[in-house]
Amino acid sequence: MGSLKQMAYSQNNRIRLLFLASLAKGLAMIGQALFFVWVADSVFLKSASFEDVLPLLAALLAVILLRAGASYAIGRLGITLSVEARRRLRRELIASYKENPLQGSIAGQSGRKVGLLLEAVDDTDGYFSKYIPQMIQSYTIPLMLLGVIFYLNWTTGLIILITAPFIPLFMAIVGKRTKQKADEKVEQLAGFSGAFLDVLQGLTTLRLFGQAKRQSDTIRDNSLKFRDSTMDVLKSAFLSSLTLEYISMLSIGIVALEIGLRLVVFDSITFFPAFLVMLLVPDFFNLLKEFGSAFHTARGSAASAELLTEELAKNHQPVEWGEFPVNAPIELAVEQVGFQYGEGFQLEPASFKLDAGTSTALVGASGSGKSTLMNVMAGLLPATSGRLLINGLPQKQVSEDEWFGQLSYITQDPYLFAGTIKENIELGSNQAVAKQELIAAAQKAGILELVESLPEGFDTVIGEAGRGLSGGEKQRLVLARAFLKKPSLLFFDEPTAGLDLHTEQVLQRAIEELSKEATVITIAHRLHTIRNASRIIVLDAGKVEAIGTHEELMDSFSPYRSMIEAQQGGKQAWVN
Amino acid sequence: MGELKTVFWLTLKEKRDVALAIMFGFLAGLAGVALLGASGYLISKAALTAQMTTLVVMAASLKLFGFAAAITRYAERLFSHRATFTMLGHLRGSFFERLAPLAPGIFQRHQSGDLLSRIVGDVESLQNFLLRVLYPPIVVGMILVATVFFTSFYSLPMALIVLVGAIFVVVILPAFFALRRRKKTHATGETRGEFAAASAEFLYGFKDLKIHLALDQKSAELQESAHRYEQAQQNEGLEENRVQSVNALVAFLASFFVLATGAYFVSIGELSGLYLAMLVMVSLGAFENVGPLAALPAYYEESRIAARRLDEVVDEEPDNSTGTMPEGPVDIQANRISYRYPNDSRLSLDEVSFQLPQGSKTAIVGPSGSGKSTLLQLLLKVAVPENGEIRFGNEALSGMCPENVWERMNIVLQENHFFSGTIESNLRIANEQADTEQLHEALELVRLGHLELSAPVYEKGRNLSGGEKQRLAMARAFLKGERLWLLDEPFSSVDGVTAQSIYSELFTRHPQDTFVIISHDLSGLENMDRILVLENGRLIEQGNYQELMERRGYFFGLKKIEEQVFV
Repeated sequence: MGSLKQMAYSQNNRIRLLFLASLAKGLAMIGQALFFVWVADSVFLKSASFEDVLPLLAALLAVILLRAGASYAIGRLGITLSVEARRRLRRELIASYKENPLQGSIAGQSGRKVGLLLEAVDDTDGYFSKYIPQMIQSYTIPLMLLGVIFYLNWTTGLIILITAPFIPLFMAIVGKRTKQKADEKVEQLAGFSGAFLDVLQGLTTLRLFGQAKRQSDTIRDNSLKFRDSTMDVLKSAFLSSLTLEYISMLSIGIVALEIGLRLVVFDSITFFPAFLVMLLVPDFFNLLKEFGSAFHTARGSAASAELLTEELAKNHQPVEWGEFPVNAPIELAVEQVGFQYGEGFQLEPASFKLDAGTSTALVGASGSGKSTLMNVMAGLLPATSGRLLINGLPQKQVSEDEWFGQLSYITQDPYLFAGTIKENIELGSNQAVAKQELIAAAQKAGILELVESLPEGFDTVIGEAGRGLSGGEKQRLVLARAFLKKPSLLFFDEPTAGLDLHTEQVLQRAIEELSKEATVITIAHRLHTIRNASRIIVLDAGKVEAIGTHEELMDSFSPYRSMIEAQQGGKQAWVN
Repeated sequence: MGELKTVFWLTLKEKRDVALAIMFGFLAGLAGVALLGASGYLISKAALTAQMTTLVVMAASLKLFGFAAAITRYAERLFSHRATFTMLGHLRGSFFERLAPLAPGIFQRHQSGDLLSRIVGDVESLQNFLLRVLYPPIVVGMILVATVFFTSFYSLPMALIVLVGAIFVVVILPAFFALRRRKKTHATGETRGEFAAASAEFLYGFKDLKIHLALDQKSAELQESAHRYEQAQQNEGLEENRVQSVNALVAFLASFFVLATGAYFVSIGELSGLYLAMLVMVSLGAFENVGPLAALPAYYEESRIAARRLDEVVDEEPDNSTGTMPEGPVDIQANRISYRYPNDSRLSLDEVSFQLPQGSKTAIVGPSGSGKSTLLQLLLKVAVPENGEIRFGNEALSGMCPENVWERMNIVLQENHFFSGTIESNLRIANEQADTEQLHEALELVRLGHLELSAPVYEKGRNLSGGEKQRLAMARAFLKGERLWLLDEPFSSVDGVTAQSIYSELFTRHPQDTFVIISHDLSGLENMDRILVLENGRLIEQGNYQELMERRGYFFGLKKIEEQVFV
C-alpha cells in the first residue's frame, strides 16, 4: 500500500486542502458543542433573555453551516482525489501496455489486463476516497478535541489518554480474529456462491434429461447453507464492533463518573465546562471508530494495489527503431537472431536470408517457435541476440512507421474493431481513401458481393470483436485491409480448414495476388503452400533444423520427408 | 417500485426476522436517544443539586442505555442479515423456477456469453434491498416518531420541529434524490461498458493496431473513454456526497431549531430549563440515525435496475405445447425450414429440406458457421423455424411438448455440463433406475471402463479432459436408451480411431436406431447411410460417401482441402 500512499500524497494541493477542511471541521465540532452549551447555560442557569442568546444562536448556526461545508468539502476532495489517482494509474497502465512488445504476441493475457484496467483500478477507490480523508481527519480532529478537553478539565484528558489506546489495540486483535474466521470459511463460501452459477450453467443438460424441476429445492437448500456460513463470519465481525462499542462506552462512563463526582460531590467544576466535556468525549471516540472502519476499506484495496504495482514494475524491453526509410522491394536478412523471454520459451539463434519478392514457408509442429520467429522478423518482438537487416540496414536504424507502413500481418484469428466495415478496411491506410479504392480492395478480397448485399453496405456496423461475421468473412475483410495497404512484406499465418470452400478459394487467389508484389513469409499448414514456397524453413523445439526447397529437403532432410509422407499416407490421389 | 415487487414479497416471507430486525433497530436507536437525553437531563440536574443519588442514577443510566444500545444493535444486524440471506435463497429458487422452462432456448437467444454471471450478480446485488433500501427508513422513521412523541410532552412546538425535520430526511430528501438519480444514472454504466469495450479492443487488437500504425490514435481514444468513465464515476460520487451533506445539514438544522425554540420558551418561562439540554440532546440523538438514508437513493436505483433486468430475462412465454411424439421409431422430415437469429439480417438456415427414414444413420457436415448446429437446435425444438416445418413421423414438431421430445431422444451437445459429484451421480442424471452393471456397460462402451463409478467429478467437470467429458456425455446418452440419437460433434476431442470404434459398436448394437450426427471432420463417413452437406445455411449436397465423392462436387472439394492440411 506504500505506493498508493505516495500516489495520494503526490496530489499536494488536495492533501493540503483535506488538512484545512479537517481543521475547519474540528473547529466547527468544538464550536457547535460550545455554543450549544453556552445557550443552554445562559437561559437555564444565568436566566438570560432570548435576545441575549440570539448572537450565540447565530454563531451556532454559523458553525453548523461550517461543519456541513467542511464535511462536504472533505467528501468532495476524497472523491476527486480518488478519481485523479485512478486516472493516473490508468494512464500509466495504458502507456505500459502500449510499450510492451509482448502484448502483441502473447495475447492470452489480454483478459487479465482488461481486468486490471477496469476492476483492479476501481478497487483502489476505497483507499483514496475513504481511507485517506479519514486518516487525515484522525490526525487532526481528535488532537484538537483532546486539547480542548485538557484545557477544560485535565483529569478527563488523562482518562482519555489512558483508555483511548485500547480502541486501536482491540481493533487489531478482533480484526485479526475476524479475518481468521473468514479465511477458515472462505472455501466453503466460495463453493456455495458458485453453486447457483453451476446449476444455471448446467440448466441445458438438466432440462434435456428432465431433471430441472428438482433443482430449485437444491438451490434453496444451498442458499440456506450459504446463509448460515456467512452468518458465522458476520457474527464474529458484529461481535467485534460490539466489543469496540463497549470499550468506548466504558471510557465514556468513567469520564461521566469523574465529571459527576466533581460536579456533585466536590463542586470543583461548573455546568458549562462539565457539559461541554460530556459532549466532546463521545465525538472523540466516534472518530476513532470511524477510522477503524476506513482502515478495513483500505485493506480491501491492498490486494488490487499489489497486482497493479506488480504489473507496472514489469520491465519491458522495447524494440528499438531508427530514422531511415524503407523502400520496396524488401529483402530481409536474419543474422544469428535469437529470442528468449524470461525462463520461458527460447528461440535459438538462426541465420538466413529472404530475397526480395520470394516466398518462404515456416513449418514445424505447434510450439516449435514458428510464431515467435515470425513476430521477431516482423519487428513485434525484440531479438535478444543477433540482428535483422532490412535491405542491408540494421533494423535499429530503420523508421518504425516506415517499416510497419510496408507490411501486412494476417493471422488465423483476425481482430475486427467495433465500427463500420468501411472503417475496418480503412485501417489499412493512414490517409483518406477514395470510394473506388475501397471497392477495389473489397472486390479483390472477395467480399464486395457480401458488403453490397447488406442494407447499409460499407457503413454496416460490425459489433465488438467483429461479431456478426463468420470466420471466413472476417478473413476476407482483413485481406481487403491488406489490398488497400499494398504491402511489400507479407506475414501470413495460414488459416486452417473449417472455412467454406468458396472462402478457401478466394483466400488462395487473394494471397497469390498480394504475393506478386511482396516478399512473403508464411506459417504454412497446407502442402500446396509449402511446395510452392521458394524456400522452406523447418523448425523444431525453437531451433531451425533445415532450410531449403521442397525438393532439396525431400532429398536430404529425412524428418521433412517422413512428415510429408505421413501426411500423404495412402491419399496420394488427392494431392496436387 | 413495480420492478421490486417480487423481491419485496420474498423479503416479507421472512416476517419474523424482518420484524425482529426492525424492532431491535428501533430499540437500538431509542437506547441511543435515551442515553443522550439522560446525560443532558442528569448533568443539568447535577448542576442544581448536590444529591449523591443524582450521581448514582447518572452513572447507572448511562451504562444501562449504553449497553442496551450496543446489544440491540448487534441483534439488529444479525436478524437483518439473516433475513436478507434467506430472501436471497428464495430469490434464487424462484428465479430458477421461472428460468428453467425457458431453457435452453433462452441461452440461444441471448447471445451474450455473460448472461449467467450477470444473473448471479444481479441476484447478489439485491441483498442491499432489505438492508439499505427497505428497512432503514422504517427504523429511522419509528425512532423519529417516538422522539416527536416524547418531546410533545414537554413542548408541542419543539415536537413539531422534530416532525418537520423527520419528514424531510425520511421522505422528501430520499424521494427527491432518487428521482434525480434515475434521470442520469445510466451514465456510469454506459461509460463503463464503452471503456471495457475499448480496453478489450486495444488489448485484443494490439497487433493489428501496431502494424497499421493506429496504436497512438487508439490509445488516445482509450484514454478518452477512460476519462469519460472516470468523469461519470466522479459525478456519481459527488452526487452521493451531496445527498449525504444535505441529509446531515437538515439533521443539524432541526436540532438547532429545537434549541432555539427551547431557549425561547425557557426564557419566557414556559419550559423548565432543566429539560432544555435533554430535549436538544434527544433530537441530536434521534437525527444521528439518518446516516444510512443518504445511501438509499443509490441502492434503491441499483436494486430497481437489477430486479428489472432479472425480470426481463425471464419475461418470455414458455413453450406450452402439449403434443407428444408418436410412439415407436419415427422418420424425420424437414420441409423447407429457415431460421434467423434474433437481430441478424441473414438467414442461418435457408429452406433446408430432407427426409431421414427410421433406422438411418445420417451425418451433417459443412464448414463452421454453415448452420449445422442451428439445424440440430431446430430438431430439438430449442429454436423454432421462421418458415417451414419439421415432422417426426406424421406429427408436426411445432405442436409437441419440448420435454416430451427430449425424453424420447439421446442427445449429446457440443457443451455438456457436469456437476460436482461423482461419475455415478453424473451418469444417473440420464437414468436413475440404471443398475451398476448398466453404468459399467455404458462406461465400457465409451472406452472409459477404467473409471471408478465413485471417482469424484469437480465443478464443471474440470478434472476431466475434453475427450473424457465427451465420452461421458455419450455414455449418458447411451444410458437413456431411446431410439433416436441426436449428436452434435460428440467426439471432436476424441482421437479418430476410438471415435470410429465407438460409432461402429453403437451401430451394431442398435441397427434399428436413427442417428443424426453432426461431424466436424470428414473422416469415417464411409459407413453413414447419408451425408448432408451444408454451406451458408443451405443444403447443397446430399448422398452417401461414394455418391458424393463420385460427384466431385463440394464435398469432394472439402475432402481434398482437409487432406492437404498439416495439423
